[in-house]
Amino acid sequence: MRRAEPIAVTAAGVATPIGQDVEAFWTSLVTGVSGISQIERFPVHDLLVGRGGEIKKLARVKSWQRIPDCRATRLLVSAADELVAQADFRPLPVDPARVAVVVGTALGGVEEGERALAGDPRRRRLRGALYDAPGHALARWLGATGPAITVSTACASGATAMAVGADLLRQDEADAVIAGGYDILCRFVMRGFDVLRSLTRDAVRPFDRRRSGLLLGEGAALVLLMREPDAGRTRLGTLLGYGSGSDASHIAAPDPDGRGLERAIRAALDQAGAAPGDVDFVSAHGTGTPINDRIETAVLKRALGARAHAIPVNSIKSSMGHTMGAAATLEAIMCLLTARHGLIPPTLHLEEADPDCDLDYVPERAREARPRICLSTSLGFGGCNGALVLAGA
Amino acid sequence: MRAPAIRALAVLSGTETVPAAAPTASSSLPVHSLGRPGSPDDRRRRATRECRLALASVEAMLADGHEKPAAIAGERTALLYTTAAAYAASNRGFIERKGGSIHFAYTAPAVVPAEVAIEFGVKGPYAIFIGGPPATLRAIWHAAILLESGACDRALVLAVEIFDECADLYTRARRLVRHPLVETAACLWLESGAGELAFRSGRGRRPNANGDRGMSELLGCEPLAALDRWRREPSPSPLELSGWWRGEEARLIWRGVSG
Repeated sequence: MRRAEPIAVTAAGVATPIGQDVEAFWTSLVTGVSGISQIERFPVHDLLVGRGGEIKKLARVKSWQRIPDCRATRLLVSAADELVAQADFRPLPVDPARVAVVVGTALGGVEEGERALAGDPRRRRLRGALYDAPGHALARWLGATGPAITVSTACASGATAMAVGADLLRQDEADAVIAGGYDILCRFVMRGFDVLRSLTRDAVRPFDRRRSGLLLGEGAALVLLMREPDAGRTRLGTLLGYGSGSDASHIAAPDPDGRGLERAIRAALDQAGAAPGDVDFVSAHGTGTPINDRIETAVLKRALGARAHAIPVNSIKSSMGHTMGAAATLEAIMCLLTARHGLIPPTLHLEEADPDCDLDYVPERAREARPRICLSTSLGFGGCNGALVLAGA
Repeated sequence: MRAPAIRALAVLSGTETVPAAAPTASSSLPVHSLGRPGSPDDRRRRATRECRLALASVEAMLADGHEKPAAIAGERTALLYTTAAAYAASNRGFIERKGGSIHFAYTAPAVVPAEVAIEFGVKGPYAIFIGGPPATLRAIWHAAILLESGACDRALVLAVEIFDECADLYTRARRLVRHPLVETAACLWLESGAGELAFRSGRGRRPNANGDRGMSELLGCEPLAALDRWRREPSPSPLELSGWWRGEEARLIWRGVSG
């Protein structure tokens, strides 16, 4: 496979349970703040687990006038509001037809469907239930009239969105791309994971011997992508490569050997023109389920070879839950901030070592290090595996 | 961009019969249903209708190409799935607990191509685009990118749309879709070709009701149905495929198309 043109990441915006801007998100990550709480926005009394990474109040946007009454859209707009402020991108400084929006989601506007089926007669609820509704709403809010794309590769969606966005620039379909992911907590997804018995009553403990499952979170994360020559000096970093690989194994569980994830990592490194030995830091998917963390560890050891034990690996899902479609973009932003600040956020609640998970997971406390090349991995329902290779500025 | 060549294509439409499932068009709702294909083994027992139709379309595509499943197995085959709303049926089923048996994972759009990947051993790059015809045109474009970059040797573009389970909701959302709704499952097999492909998408005006959008609604399957019509009655190159959905229009111009 040919090496791909590197793409600049020039700005970012986030809405998360641990901070509603990049600075607050970063400070919470490195100081070990937990965004997990009892869910309050909808009933959870009938569920085995009613906790998650819930954003209690969307505080950033002052007026929601003319923005659809759809939580997914509002999370996206909240993240976009920060991004455009950082990049001075509203009103758009380039031809709106050359600005694209690419968002990834596992759930889209499904909560609008829940409302419509519960009797809300407004037709916009039905239109909003389609998975691409929030992405189109974001494009309208931005005033972007270029391609408006929604991808849905389950919990790898945020990585797919960034990769598709990078391709738009490489193919000269756009001059600027706002790409990322989002998902919300709602009855639908909480009930779904409750049925699957995937949620833990304990803390989320990625790579810990006692890990017993994940918790869900909600969030949105967006980055502004531009071609290197157009990006100017101010940037967060560079997207060097992306790879994907299908497990072809099971609809809801990862391949026991992790071959799809391994192919994704190798493809991402190939596209980046990087060797396994170049990787300085890994942001793992690290859900905290017994099977995911064991498989991911084995895959990282195979893909990164002898140096795997010397490379710091973290998971930030113990801080705010698994934010599904937002997770991969949040983790990509975290990688770039790690390189900028010279500090690796810890894997919270990792206290007891597991012999099957024997890499350096940066437990409990942030660590000083300034990685240059970062690898970020994502896995999702349907055997979707994605990997991003990023470089700090 | 170098255009891919068409190796095989199958379009199963609610206006035709499909193996193991007769059409069950309702007299009261403007939906031409594809029914539920039978399952040859227990593994597909829990698979939703959209998954079974996806599998049926891949089988039909293999038949069109006179190939066996092994021809698309492995990590050199990319799989690109598109749909505007096929997941709505399983989402609704899960929300309303209709039948009480929908496995939560099946509510994810990603599970439709996953069933194809599992059944046929497709392990290469993948992407899933949500939307109407522009999403499918983009999937073809994305397939061309993957082929040209050497990321795969062949790419499958899979599209599925079903409507029956949500027919009443589509009746309420008349502004979004026109009727009749024609359930369709289609799969296109692309390989490296020698033609030239151009693609453009962005905000655009909705075509007239009786214009190039036609009188029925296939949503994401429409471009593959148009390609199928072109194969049956080829016209002079270049082939132009266009589509509109939710304010976005897309146009794919395919010069030197072969297949």
